[in-house]
Amino acid sequence: MSHRSCVLVLAIAGATAVAGQTVTPAQRDANIQSFEKVWTTVSDKHWDPKLGGLDWQAVHDELRPKMEAAKTADEAREVLNDMVGRLKQTHFGIFPGSVYHDLDASSDEPEKDSGEATPGIDVRILKGRAIVTDVDAGSPAAAKGVKRGWEILRIGDTEIPPLVARVQEHFKDPTLLDLRLRRSVVDRLEGGTGSTFTVEFLDGADRKVSIGLDRAKPRGKIAHLGNMPPLPAWSEWRKLPQDVGYVRFNVFFDPEGLAKTMEEAIKGCRDCRGFVLDLRGNPGGIGGLAMGVAGWFTDQSGLKLGTMYLRGLTIKFVIFPRPEPFRGPLAVLMDGCSASTSEILAGGLKDIHRARLFGTRTAAAALPSVIERLPNGDGFQYAIANYISQGGKPLEGIGAIPDEEVPLTRRQLLEGKDSALDAAVEWIQKQKP
Amino acid sequence: MNCYFDRFNMRIGLALAFAGVLAAADLPKGETLLDKYIEVTGGKAAYSKMHSQMMTGTMEFPAMGLKGKLTIYSAEPDKQYFEVNFEGVGKMQEGSNGEIAWANSAMQGPRIKEGGEKAESLMRGKFNAELNWRDMYKTVETLALETVDGKQCYKILATPKSGNPKTLWYDKDSNLMVKMSAVTATPQGDIQSDTSVSDYRKEGDILVPHKMSIKAGPMEIAMTVDSMQINPEIPKNTFDVPDEVKALIKKP
Repeated sequence: MSHRSCVLVLAIAGATAVAGQTVTPAQRDANIQSFEKVWTTVSDKHWDPKLGGLDWQAVHDELRPKMEAAKTADEAREVLNDMVGRLKQTHFGIFPGSVYHDLDASSDEPEKDSGEATPGIDVRILKGRAIVTDVDAGSPAAAKGVKRGWEILRIGDTEIPPLVARVQEHFKDPTLLDLRLRRSVVDRLEGGTGSTFTVEFLDGADRKVSIGLDRAKPRGKIAHLGNMPPLPAWSEWRKLPQDVGYVRFNVFFDPEGLAKTMEEAIKGCRDCRGFVLDLRGNPGGIGGLAMGVAGWFTDQSGLKLGTMYLRGLTIKFVIFPRPEPFRGPLAVLMDGCSASTSEILAGGLKDIHRARLFGTRTAAAALPSVIERLPNGDGFQYAIANYISQGGKPLEGIGAIPDEEVPLTRRQLLEGKDSALDAAVEWIQKQKP
Repeated sequence: MNCYFDRFNMRIGLALAFAGVLAAADLPKGETLLDKYIEVTGGKAAYSKMHSQMMTGTMEFPAMGLKGKLTIYSAEPDKQYFEVNFEGVGKMQEGSNGEIAWANSAMQGPRIKEGGEKAESLMRGKFNAELNWRDMYKTVETLALETVDGKQCYKILATPKSGNPKTLWYDKDSNLMVKMSAVTATPQGDIQSDTSVSDYRKEGDILVPHKMSIKAGPMEIAMTVDSMQINPEIPKNTFDVPDEVKALIKKP
């Protein structure tokens, strides 16, 4: 038995032992507190106070005795999932505390080197393998010769394939899955500035290589917004050789920086054949920026991307055309790590027939949702709003669907190709000038 | 027996009917309360001496931990400029000059307000609106005596000449306004909000509320006045429509 298999078996055995243990009186109390916390949160914070006609008190009264009788952590979690499952809505769920560990390396590992510094690698999980999709120019990873298409096998002591398998097992629903998988790996690449660690890769020739990497300040400006954790934000644009404008930004933050890039892009490429807006890997951010970015691409007043429904408040995502917007063909690139505001923008632009979408389905997680830790240690995810895109459908659980499905493959990455961008440019070239 | 019961019922009915009449008669007229507000906050003469204002303060979304510096300039007859600077969001501006009402931000770019939103902004932009409330409202009607935050307050329905009606609550004892409820027209849709007004302090010869707490659905906004200048030197061009907004006006 290999070392890796051995660890996996031990992990499974450990998980089973914990799940099978009878709860102590203290754990039972924590389970009941968790039950009440989940019930009250939904009652107080759900955007629809009537919960679509569901008798929430009856759900409480039916399930509370079951929670009191739950003998194991799994049984308790089953009751909680039964409760939120009655809502029949995405973004409501309970998951074991151990999954925090897999999703966020810092949550359960106080010794983990916290920080936002990075070796400059971006990752996607393709067919269960953590594949390098981007290496920032000038980054420590670039300096050490890490290439797109390489597979990450191990980060420090953490073996990546079993970690990815565990996250996939816990989150069978494809909503948010790509984002969670990416996060589970990227979190382990990040740490304090100047810290070093070893990553084992499978290179382009399928050879195992171990490389010591430094972590450096991430690309872009560290943007602060209220209580949200500081995030590195960058935006860039360039004119492609095919006379097409290309804009990309990593997150919907830093409105002033983004507005400057957009303004320069539109001015610098006003007569271009078309524009490509690359939202791949963009997890969202400030919702209002979806309207702000859309305003660079239409001169028609009164258009809407969709409508958000909060408790006691309905917000229409209205686009305000900029003084001199770009009116030509617009292509949007997206993937399973394009979430929230990215989906609102991509889905809305498609619905109003302003853009053609290329790539793969988005994360299907447009709703603002919160994950809280319950008194019993489990995670509780809940949405605080509903969002309906202008086409009349929710994005939640469905996502923005590409007009042209262009999946990413390891082979293409190793060959230096960007098939989604190529497809978008080809489409733009076919449009009438 | 039945006759007696009917008479009893009738008396109760009459009493209730009278109670309604007496209650309405007891309530001061809306016009009286709005005029009295001018008196208790400084009087007509004091308001008439004001021709412009500059106010600085903070605007905060406590749930989001978002706080920004707020500056408002206003001047006779109908000029207003509002600016708030949030870290991470940038500058958000609004203005009106009696004809045009506009907004501009890095987030959503420049825009010219239209329809109900424009009408409300132009109305808000009128200088000394408290003094000239008769120019704004078609009718003001006292509806009831209600308790707001433990205080007895007169509830008034103020219907403007254009735009949505507002409900205002005036403290029965001090006659200061303590709460306002309104539906505000925005391009994102009509927003129902409740605003609590407090911390009245004297600025020049006028009593001015220094705290406002606005609740719209799950969203809460807190506004605080830090300083206020009466008839200050207002920088030239403060009320000018920004070039990027003018670019929209030129559009056919």
